[in-house]
Amino acid sequence: MFMNSNLFEPGKSKSERTFVQSAVKQNIRFDGRKSNEFRDVKLTFGADWGTVALSMGDTKVLAQVSCDIGTPSSARGNEGTLHLNVDIKGVAFLDEVQATHDQRQLTLNSLLERTFRSSRCLDLESLCIATEQHVWCVRVDINVLNHDGNLYDASTIAALAALMHFRRPDVSFIEDEIRTYSERERELMPLLFLHYPVSVTYCVYKSSTQPLVDPTLLEENAADSIIVLSFNSYQELCTLNAGGTAPTNVRTIMQCAHGAARRSKALVQFIRKALELDAERREQPMQVFGLMDLLNETAPKLSFKYLMEEEAEVDHTPDRARVIEQKSDVEPMQLEEPVPQAQMQTPKKILAETTEDDIAWLPQEQPVDEATPTAAKPGKAKPNRAKNKGGKKQQSQTTKKQNDSDSEEEVTQIL
Amino acid sequence: MSKKAATNAAKDKLREMQCKFNPLSRSDGSVMYSQGATVVIAAVLGPIEVKTQNLSIEGSYLECNYRPKAGLPQVKERIREAAIRDVLELALLSEAYPRSKMSLQVQELEDRGSTDACALNSACLALLIGGLPLKYSFAAVHCIINEQGEFVLDPELNETLRQQASFTFAFDSVDGNLLLVQTKGAFKIAQFNDIECICRAASAQIFDFYRSNLAKYHGRSAENDSSSTDLPMET
Repeated sequence: MFMNSNLFEPGKSKSERTFVQSAVKQNIRFDGRKSNEFRDVKLTFGADWGTVALSMGDTKVLAQVSCDIGTPSSARGNEGTLHLNVDIKGVAFLDEVQATHDQRQLTLNSLLERTFRSSRCLDLESLCIATEQHVWCVRVDINVLNHDGNLYDASTIAALAALMHFRRPDVSFIEDEIRTYSERERELMPLLFLHYPVSVTYCVYKSSTQPLVDPTLLEENAADSIIVLSFNSYQELCTLNAGGTAPTNVRTIMQCAHGAARRSKALVQFIRKALELDAERREQPMQVFGLMDLLNETAPKLSFKYLMEEEAEVDHTPDRARVIEQKSDVEPMQLEEPVPQAQMQTPKKILAETTEDDIAWLPQEQPVDEATPTAAKPGKAKPNRAKNKGGKKQQSQTTKKQNDSDSEEEVTQIL
Repeated sequence: MSKKAATNAAKDKLREMQCKFNPLSRSDGSVMYSQGATVVIAAVLGPIEVKTQNLSIEGSYLECNYRPKAGLPQVKERIREAAIRDVLELALLSEAYPRSKMSLQVQELEDRGSTDACALNSACLALLIGGLPLKYSFAAVHCIINEQGEFVLDPELNETLRQQASFTFAFDSVDGNLLLVQTKGAFKIAQFNDIECICRAASAQIFDFYRSNLAKYHGRSAENDSSSTDLPMET
């Protein structure tokens, strides 16, 4: 009469697994994305400080930061504490399935712990009120509302956004007495960060060399192994979690790392932008805002694609201008203030160089081409697939390109 | 002057209600419901397999959880849960599915006053959209008596800070019977009767809201369904 509890999740049955595996082999994803394409991330900030609702496709999480004054641990008497907690029991109906032995909550909690606590992203010393007596205890609660894969990324992004959004009241400690100031007396204080980590998840399948980024629940459950990488905005690795049964070569992991580093940087930029827009909105008087924006269709949506597209446009225009400037001696556009712009450009150039240096240790991402799987197994490839869309032409082009990039590994991989 | 008139007018009106059906993909029915700035999500699953310890041959077992957005559920949340469960046990036609479980989860998204009423209303909408058997639908209304002795219907959070008494009533849709009464604070019986009348009148407005939104959802989803069934066929 009832649904078999193990089949309640997509991707757990054998037929679903083989379906996903064969789709991956053909470089096709169920939702039409490319293997390195992410779902759009949307943030909604609540009326209270530190409340963030995040949606990533159908995956939805709610993060809430709260704080109170407590006693520090004896080992670190001059530091506040950060506690992270993920809750998957509520409306997501996940515990319905594998009652007690569910590893999901444990893995999620430990990943968050490593990403935020072990990497020491918060300046905990700034949360100290009186050494070995009173410190701020910051608590992050993440409620999973809906699970459609990639809870890791959703929860780390939501947690980071909530921590960055959060404001704590100011306190003073005079003559053994703590005084907490209300919002009216003193302005609330944001938390201090040392760096901003976010994670990026990849799924690896035995049938394909190309890992899938940002998997859905179906893809995640059918995956042979899952790689989670946390990078901060300086493109430093904070967490690496690789498990599962698929043998993964170093190159794949490095390729994932390269993509993840860039993605993390963009994500942190996106969160910063969203926070700015939220702050602007809060300054407007008599404006109603909060999580009811989720219901309101006309409310401004803080989505990654929308905000970062703008960013890309802004970034490209000065680049183009610079190129034109370099090519022709005569300035094509009469700029109003040429001197400050030149000054502006020089630091930017340096910045660009340094960022390139930052990721110099990472190999260039392999160009994603539809023809790779057909090239890998020429005997099994369907001939009609190669014929239409000029597959052969593409194939020869890509192999040429890869030869040009003088990497031996790439060549061997194709053979 | 006009501002004062506006606030006076707001005191005997419900805040604006909004809802969105099935925002969650994993439940049988879910709804995101807001009343003013208070937002909750309710989701139902059922009838599903039940653990042997909860199994009942008389009717289905009802699981009801309310989750706060910060921290673990405390006594306050348990009380709220108990109130929701009491009303649901009256309204659910549990005899229809013996040896099974109905699960209702309510997640608070933002608490800005009258959360009890909001949670109950969202629970009712979730049950309706999830297609669980009900004897009748129900609506809950929250009302307070403020310091000046005025009645404030569906108050904001800052209005509830200084209150003489607070009331939550739930009514059924068929006979208009009282399903739940929660009171706090000191009041006269005449005031209680007055507030009951005010809340009863307001509940009619909520039932209208249910009706119009469900009609709209099903009307629209009929078109959407035909297009969405085509999609899997293509792939």
